[in-house]
Amino acid sequence: MTAAIRVDSLDLSFRNETVLRDVNLEVDDGEFCVVLGPSGSGKSMLLKSIVGLETPDSGWVFLDGEDASELSVPERNIGFVFQEFEETLFPHRSVEENIAFGLEQSDIDIDGDEMDRRIDDLLELLAISDTKDDAPPELSGGQQQRVELARQLVRRCGIMLLDDPLADLDYKLQKRMEIEMRRIHDDLDSAFLYVTHNQDQALKLADKLVVLNDGRVEQVGTPSELYHEPDSAFVARFIGDSNAFKATSVETTADRVRVETELGALLATPMNGMATDAEGLVTIRPEHIAIGKDASAKDNTVEVAPAGETYMGETTEIAVEIPDSGRQMIVVEPGQTTVPEAETVQIGWDATDTQFFEKLSVTETVRTDDLLEI
Amino acid sequence: MATAKKRNDEQTDGEKGDAIVEVRDLTKVYPDGTVAVEEISFSIDRGDFCVLIGPSGCGKSTTLHSMVGKFPVTGGTVTLDGEDITDTETHERDIGLVFQDFQLFPHLDVEENIRYGLERLDLPAAEVERRVSDLTATMQLEGLLERAPEELSAGQKQRVALARSLVLEPKLLLLDEPLGDMDYKLQKRMERELLRIHREFETTFVYVTHDQTQAMRLADQIVVMNDGKIEQSGTSHEVYNEPATAFVATFVGDSDIFTGTVVGLSDDGARARIETEYGRFLASAANLESEPAEIVGAEIPFSVRPQYIELSEDKENTLKCEILDVINQPGAGTQLLLKAHGETDVVSDLQVKLNEQVDPDGETVTVGWDAEVATMLERTSVVPDIDLEKDVLGE
Repeated sequence: MTAAIRVDSLDLSFRNETVLRDVNLEVDDGEFCVVLGPSGSGKSMLLKSIVGLETPDSGWVFLDGEDASELSVPERNIGFVFQEFEETLFPHRSVEENIAFGLEQSDIDIDGDEMDRRIDDLLELLAISDTKDDAPPELSGGQQQRVELARQLVRRCGIMLLDDPLADLDYKLQKRMEIEMRRIHDDLDSAFLYVTHNQDQALKLADKLVVLNDGRVEQVGTPSELYHEPDSAFVARFIGDSNAFKATSVETTADRVRVETELGALLATPMNGMATDAEGLVTIRPEHIAIGKDASAKDNTVEVAPAGETYMGETTEIAVEIPDSGRQMIVVEPGQTTVPEAETVQIGWDATDTQFFEKLSVTETVRTDDLLEI
Repeated sequence: MATAKKRNDEQTDGEKGDAIVEVRDLTKVYPDGTVAVEEISFSIDRGDFCVLIGPSGCGKSTTLHSMVGKFPVTGGTVTLDGEDITDTETHERDIGLVFQDFQLFPHLDVEENIRYGLERLDLPAAEVERRVSDLTATMQLEGLLERAPEELSAGQKQRVALARSLVLEPKLLLLDEPLGDMDYKLQKRMERELLRIHREFETTFVYVTHDQTQAMRLADQIVVMNDGKIEQSGTSHEVYNEPATAFVATFVGDSDIFTGTVVGLSDDGARARIETEYGRFLASAANLESEPAEIVGAEIPFSVRPQYIELSEDKENTLKCEILDVINQPGAGTQLLLKAHGETDVVSDLQVKLNEQVDPDGETVTVGWDAEVATMLERTSVVPDIDLEKDVLGE
C-alpha cells in the first residue's frame, strides 16, 4: 500500500538554524498520526514542509506516492489548520462565507444545496452554529479556531494537517471536541497529521504517535508502544508521567539489570543496553507503584515519608518524600485512597516496571539532568 | 524546610482548621453596571489550598481582587484572621499576590527580587537574612541568586515569584491563574511543585483557575462559581461526589446525566425510583434538600460519574447501549463512548471509564451501576432560569 504521506530523509533549516534532521515518517490512508514534542522541537516546521510552505534543504515529501518537490501549495491539495488562523479568516465576511470560500477554492464540483448541508453539519459538529452570520472579529479565539477548522474540513481532502487545532478552547469544550475529532476523522477517512503539546489528547486520538526532539524523530509507534516500550529515556519521560532517577548499572543477568540509585539498589529491565558500569536513567510509572501492605511482595521496595495526597475524583495522587534527599516521588492509585498517618510507609514496584535506559535520546546533547527536569 | 513550617506555626494566632478568611455577602458592581459578583459568602480554613473555579466571566477574578483590595467593593465584608479588612489599603492587608507570568522585576537579580519587599518591612537584619536563606533553600534557588529573571526557566521563575511573596510571611497568598499559558508537561510539573511548597509552608493559598483538573489536583477546598454566584463550596471530595447542582456535577469532572420522573421511594426514602426514557433506575436520595415524600412525581435528574459505571449486568441499574467508540489510553484505562436508545426516538450519549484496558466485542454492551453512585440533582443551578438541557448539558 502506498502511504498518504511519506517523508524521506528530510532536513530543513530556518534562519540558518537546522530545525529538522533526517526525518523519516509514513502516514497511511485513513490513519490518525499525532506528532508530540517539546516546544521548539520542529513539530510545526514538519507540517509546513509537507504542505509546501517551507522548502527542505534535502530529502523528499511523497504524497500518495508522488514526489511533491515540484508541486505548489494548492497543487498538493492538503487541508491544513495552522496556529496563525486569525490571519487567514476574512474579517469582513460571515462565518458561513468564510467556510464556503474553502470549498469554492477547491476543484470539487458540488451544488449549492450540498454545500449548505456540509457547512451546517460542520457548524453543528463544532458547536458554532450560532455564529453562522457573524464576522470572525466578533468571535472568541476558540470560535475562530473552529471556523478555520470547518473551512479546511469542508474540503474533505485526503490529507489533513492540523497544528494544535483545539489549543484555544476552554477545558470542557476541548474534551468534547477531542471526541468529535475522532468522529470527524472516522467520517472523512482522511490521513490526519496532528500536532499537539497536550499528551492526554495525543494518547487519546492517535493511531500512531511520533515523538520529535530537537528536530529528530525519537520514536514512532502506537500510543501503547511508546508508553510501555519507550526506545529512550527521553520518550519515557516525555510520554505520560514517571518518577526518574540517575542510575548506574552494576550487574546484568539474562533480562535484568541491577542498578545503583539514590533509592539504593534496584532491580530493573534494561531497555536499550546491557553494559555494566553504564550510567543512565531509571524510570517508574506512578500507577505501577504499590503503597502500604501490597508493597512488600514487590521486587523493589523503599521506605518513604508520606508528604500529602490529592484526591482527583478518578484517581488519588500520593506524594512521598525520599529520606535524606528530600526529593519526592508520585504514586497514583485508582479512586480514593487514604494513606495511614505514619512517619514512614513502604512503597514497592516490580522489576518489569522499572525501566533502565543507557541511551538517553537520539540527540547526543541530552543529559540526565535535563531529563529529570521534564 | 522544617524550620519554615515551625515558624509559621508560631507566627499564626489560630489553629489549623479555623477560618482565616470570611467573605460575607460580597457584591461588586462595576461602573458600567455589570454585576460581577452578587452577595456571595464563603470562608477558608487556615492553611488550606482553596481554588476558585468557574467559566470565564463567573466572577472568580473579581472575588480574588476584592480580597486583595484592588478596588472598593459595592457591598459586603472581607475578614482576615478576625479583622475586617474591607476598607483597608491593599499594602496593609498582609496578603501576597502571584500573577500570571509572575511579573518579576526584570532589572533586579533573583536575590534582589526576593529582598525587595523585605527591605520595606523594617525588620532586624538577622531576621531578614534568616528569611532569605530559608526561602532560597526551600525553593532550591541557591545557585541562581545572581541570575536575571530573563535567564530563568519558567519553573525557576515560579519559585522566585513564590519566594518573593512568601518571604513577607503573609497570612494569605493569592494566585491568579499563574500556570495559564504553559505547555502541558510543564504545567503538570509546576502544579506538583506548588503543592509541595504549600505543604511545606502551611500558608493559606487562594488560587483562581478555569481548569477543573487543576482544581481537583490542587484544592483542599473548591469554590465553584457561576454567573456571579457560588454554586457550591466544599472539599474536592464533596464537590465531586456530592454535587449541589447539575451545573457542579458537569463542570467539575465528567458526568452522565439522566432526566426522569420520580415514581416511588424505597429504603425509607433513602432511594428513589426514577422513570426515564431508558428504563427505570434506582438513585440515591441521600443528599436531597426536600423531604423524600415531596419528590414523588417530580422531575429530578440524576448523575453518575463515568468511572463508577462498570461492564456488568449484576448491578442495581443496568442499561444496554450501542458502542460508538472505544478509546484506549495507556496509563489511564479505557473510555467507552456509548449511545442509549430511549423508548421514543430519543438517544443519549454516555461515557464509561474503566481502569483496565478493555476491547469489548460486538456492537452493544450492557453497563451497570449501583444506586449509591447515582446522585439526584434537585437543583440545576443557583442561577435562576438556567435550562438543564440547553445551558448545562450543551456547550
